[in-house]
Amino acid sequence: MSGPILHTKNITMRFGGLMAVDQVQLKVFKNDLVGIIGPNGAGKTTVFNMITGIYTPSAGEIILQDKNINNERAYTISKLGVARTFQNIRLFKDLSVIDNIRLAGHQKLTYSGISSILRTKNFKEQEEKLTEKAIKLLKIFKLEDKKDFLARNLPYGKQRRLEIARALATDPKLLLLDEPAAGMNPKETRELSDLIIWLRDYFKIAILLIEHDMGLVMNVCERIYVLDYGKLIAEGNPSEIQNNPKVIEAYLGTSEVD
Amino acid sequence: MDYLAHLTLNCGIFIILAVSLNLINGMAGQFSLGHAGFWAIGAYTGAAFSTFAPLPIPDWMNLLVGCGVGGISASIAGVLIGIPCLRLRGDYLAIATLGFSEIIRLIIINMDVVGGPRGFTNIPKWANLGWVYLWVVITILVISNLMKGTHGRAIISIREDEIAAESLGINTFKYKLLAFVVGSGFAGVAGALFAYSQQFIHPNGFNFLWSVIILLMIILGGLGSITGAVVGAIILTLLPEVLRLMGPTISEWRMVIYSLLLILLMLWRPQGIFGKHEFKIFSLIKRLKT
Repeated sequence: MSGPILHTKNITMRFGGLMAVDQVQLKVFKNDLVGIIGPNGAGKTTVFNMITGIYTPSAGEIILQDKNINNERAYTISKLGVARTFQNIRLFKDLSVIDNIRLAGHQKLTYSGISSILRTKNFKEQEEKLTEKAIKLLKIFKLEDKKDFLARNLPYGKQRRLEIARALATDPKLLLLDEPAAGMNPKETRELSDLIIWLRDYFKIAILLIEHDMGLVMNVCERIYVLDYGKLIAEGNPSEIQNNPKVIEAYLGTSEVD
Repeated sequence: MDYLAHLTLNCGIFIILAVSLNLINGMAGQFSLGHAGFWAIGAYTGAAFSTFAPLPIPDWMNLLVGCGVGGISASIAGVLIGIPCLRLRGDYLAIATLGFSEIIRLIIINMDVVGGPRGFTNIPKWANLGWVYLWVVITILVISNLMKGTHGRAIISIREDEIAAESLGINTFKYKLLAFVVGSGFAGVAGALFAYSQQFIHPNGFNFLWSVIILLMIILGGLGSITGAVVGAIILTLLPEVLRLMGPTISEWRMVIYSLLLILLMLWRPQGIFGKHEFKIFSLIKRLKT
């Protein structure tokens, strides 16, 4: 086995005097399904923002396939194979569903602006291929009948699915999901669990997810990292995490009697 | 007849300006208030070319070269202004672009070669209605075709959500700059055409007020809609003239009525006449058939 796809070596993020993330080590291997949990404000999303280049870590190193990506811009990191979804859905709301997906194929297209103005053969061929690929992906996510709807007109659960589909359209090696089950009902959450596992196997990607829904995390993830106040307090498989006293303390507090 | 021809020609020039500003403000969502500056650069470089260095070729060819000179020099100015300014967002970008367009105007006033505060006179009359509308068609075709490809989608994604766009591998700065450069380039072409049809240009004819009026055109038509920009440009060019023709009382109050109409429209339809939609003749025919 080769080394991890993603390795964060003691990454730290300081906002002024606030230590949002403190020396966190994560490793994600090929085909891994890893979860990050922790109470609100533990720094989970900040970790995502550092990995995807929205923030630059104050200290530490982020290694993506043996390459340091600390100072790379977000669009370069996307080209290197990291895709993500957002906690509060960030779709292109005034674009159609299919255009949301087509946009994600942007980096794979090679035609120039001039050939799009002149409608050259190259332009038409590449656009056709892109559309075909987008429809295929929409079919997987059962959204193909909604392809010409504006993204803003989709119901909430479908918007979440579209965001995952859009992230996958960049052909990532590592997919980061930020609270994919937020706002979903139990039935939708169960469907999402199955979908996440299926996606991992079908696209042969590694998935790293943040989630508050413990049912989903324990079902889906093979390894779990627990963050509290920016510090990594535990890691292990679901049953280890469930019985870890530090995790219980972080979530429920300590009893004063003992 | 002359009056009507003049109005139609002005409509054409403003359609080019509105459609090109719409690319920057409506499509890329970058609030620029400096369009009159690029228009002025195009007008003055075009005029300077025709007066100081016309090529020994027929007038219509010279016209095309002149429009090219105006457009390219405005694009270059667009790159120079865009690189520092496009790092700013929202109101700050608006203030910075506004500042640059005023700087351009003041530089022109202080340049004696191009007439300075007296204005640039004796520009050859190369352009007529036909040439202006040929450029209107070119502008609309280029911009609407560009918007249908991946570059156009990337430009729109910046307006929709910059962080999401970056996370999908889109170099947002590059596409902001592309929109800015193409937009200012066409404003430059409009300037050259303006110079070749009016034969006289004056720096104060390109002041801040005109940037605002072009902005009004695209807001009225619907930010993000090319059809909206065209319709907005036509309405705002014709409206004051139509009010002028409606008898002495209305004529006296025409600027008040003009402003009132704008306020009412914004109250009733804040997204503009077309919103973000385009008028598509083919889908209309299809809908009428079924």
